[in-house]
Amino acid sequence: MARYLEINKKQTKEETWEEPFYLNMGPQHPSTHGVLRLFLELEGETIVNCDPIIGYLHRGVEKLSENLNYNQTIVLSDRLDYIASAANNTVFALAFEKLIGLEVPRRAKLLRTIVCEMARICNHLLWLATHALDIGAMTVFLYCFRDREWLLNIYEKICGARLTHSYVRVGGVRQDFTKEIIEELYRFTEEFPSRIYDYETLIDVNRIWLRRTKGIAVVPAEQAINLGLTGPVLRGSGVPYDVRKFRPYDAYGEVDFIVPTGKNGDTYDRYRVRMEELRQSNRIIRQCLDKLPETEGEPVLAENAPDLLIPEKVKEPKPQPVPKKGVIFRGVDRPIVPSGEAFASIESPKGELAVYVVSSGSNKPWRLRIRTPSFVHISAIPYMAKNHMIADLIAIIGTLDIVLGDSDR
Amino acid sequence: MKIFEKALLIEILKGLALTLRKMLFARPVTIQYYDKVRPVPASGFRGRHALVRDEKTGDSLCIVCLRCVKVCPSKCINIEYETDEQTKKRKIIKYEIEALRCVYCGYCEEVCPVNAIVLTEWYEYVGFTRKDLFFDKEKLLKNWDEFIVTKKRPYLNPFWKPRGIPEKFLPVKKRQFTGV
Repeated sequence: MARYLEINKKQTKEETWEEPFYLNMGPQHPSTHGVLRLFLELEGETIVNCDPIIGYLHRGVEKLSENLNYNQTIVLSDRLDYIASAANNTVFALAFEKLIGLEVPRRAKLLRTIVCEMARICNHLLWLATHALDIGAMTVFLYCFRDREWLLNIYEKICGARLTHSYVRVGGVRQDFTKEIIEELYRFTEEFPSRIYDYETLIDVNRIWLRRTKGIAVVPAEQAINLGLTGPVLRGSGVPYDVRKFRPYDAYGEVDFIVPTGKNGDTYDRYRVRMEELRQSNRIIRQCLDKLPETEGEPVLAENAPDLLIPEKVKEPKPQPVPKKGVIFRGVDRPIVPSGEAFASIESPKGELAVYVVSSGSNKPWRLRIRTPSFVHISAIPYMAKNHMIADLIAIIGTLDIVLGDSDR
Repeated sequence: MKIFEKALLIEILKGLALTLRKMLFARPVTIQYYDKVRPVPASGFRGRHALVRDEKTGDSLCIVCLRCVKVCPSKCINIEYETDEQTKKRKIIKYEIEALRCVYCGYCEEVCPVNAIVLTEWYEYVGFTRKDLFFDKEKLLKNWDEFIVTKKRPYLNPFWKPRGIPEKFLPVKKRQFTGV
C-alpha cells in the first residue's frame, strides 16, 4: 500500500507525469464484475504490470460459520458464489456428510445433480451474457438473460428462492420435486440446445468477436497447472481435468458426459469449452430426469440425518445384556458429529470448489476452510494481462469468470 | 470461397437475420409489471413473514418453544415470554422479526412444531423507514390476514410439511396436518 501512496504523491506533485503511467481500475468499474481493483502499470495503452487488490467484499464467512451449526452454515454458502448457489450448498453438505458418516439416498443424489447442473447452466449463461456485453455484443446479453429467467423460475418452484436457494441440507435435500417441475425441466432440456445454437450464430464466427478473443491471454497447459487454474479455464488449455470424472460425487458416476477441452488456451478456446459444457449439462439433466421414476416414492433425506436444529448430543441407552424399561433417560451422551476432519471438493461452474472442515465434537465446525476457484483465478490475472491492451484486460476478467463474493468470502 | 464470404459479410448477415426473425416472430418476454401483469410467485416462495392467526381464539398459534429462535442463522427473531406458575404454560409478551436482517432461508417454518410461522408468497412489500420492516406480533398477524384472503383455503405451505421428507423427522402435529 505504501508503494501506491508514494507513486500517487509523485504523480500529483510533478507537472509532467513520468513514464510508466499508473492507473487504478476499479473497484467501481462495471466490467470488473463486482469490486475488483486492479492497479495497472501502463506504457501507453499496454499493460506492463498488473496488481489485483481484493478484499472489498470480505464478510468473514469462515469465521462466522464457527458460531453456526452445520445446517445454518449452508445458508452462508449461498452468499459465496451467488450465481450458482446450489453448487456451493452441495460441497458444504458433502463435507459435513463425510464428517458425520451419512449415506444420502439415491433420489436425493439425483436431485442434487440436477440442481448442480442447472446452476452450471445459469452460471455459464450469465458469464456469456456479461462477457459478450463487455466485448460489445448486446443481443447475446438479452437472449441469455431470457433463458436464465426460465431456469430461475424453475428454481423458484423447487425451493422457493431464485438466487439464495439453501436447497441442499445435511443428509439430502429440503424437499422433493413435483411432477410439474419435472415436466417443466423436460421442456427446458428439449428447447435449450436450439437456444445455444442461437448464441453461436450470433458470435461464434463474428469477425469482431474473433478479433477480440483469438490469441488473447494465451495460457499453455503447463503454465495453467502451475498457476493452479481449474475448471473451464484449465480445460481451455487442453488439460482434461474434471472432478466430476476423477472423483465422482453424487450421481455423476452413473451419467454419461464428455469433458470438452480446448487446444490453444486462449480466450476463444475457453469460450468454446463453456459452450460445449452447456450442452453436456443439458445432457446430464436429461439423463437424471430419466432416472428419477426409478426412485419414485423414496425419501429425499437419509435415515440418520440430523435435524435442522442439530443438537449437540443425543442420549443413547446404555448397552445392557438384559434391556430394562425406562432406562433411556439414564443413557450415555453421544455427540452427533464426531470429532475429526473431512475434505470434499466438487466441480463448481467456475472451477474446483473445496471445503475442509475440522470438528471438535460439538454441533458447530471448529474450523472451516473454503478453497474457492475465483481467488486462485484472480491471482492469474497478472500473468495473463502482461503485454496486452487495457481493452483486452476486460476480456481477460470476463474469460476467467470471477465473482468477488466467491474470492473474498 | 472464404474471401467471398468475408467480403459479403456472410456471418454478420446471418446474425442480423436471426435478430430480425426473433424481433418479428417471437413472442415478447418482457412484461408490463404492476400496471398490466402482476406475476404470481410459485407455491412455497419465501416472502414476507407472517404469524398464522388461529380461527378459534383470534390469536397466534405459537407455543413459545423457541425452536425458530435457535435455528435462525441471522438471529432476526426475538421472543420475550412469561411462564404461568400453575399451568407451566408459556405466554408471548413480544414476538419480533427484523425483516431487514432475515436471509429468507425458511428454516423457521420448517422447524416450527405447530406451523405457527410462515414465509408467505407475498413479495410486494417495501418501507420508507427501517421501522416499516420491523415486524412485531400485531403486524405479523396482519400480514397473515392480508395474505390469506388471496389464497384458497385450506392453505398448506410446502415448507410446513416438505415433500419427500420421512415422517420420522416431522413433529407429531405436522404429520396429520392438512392446512389452515
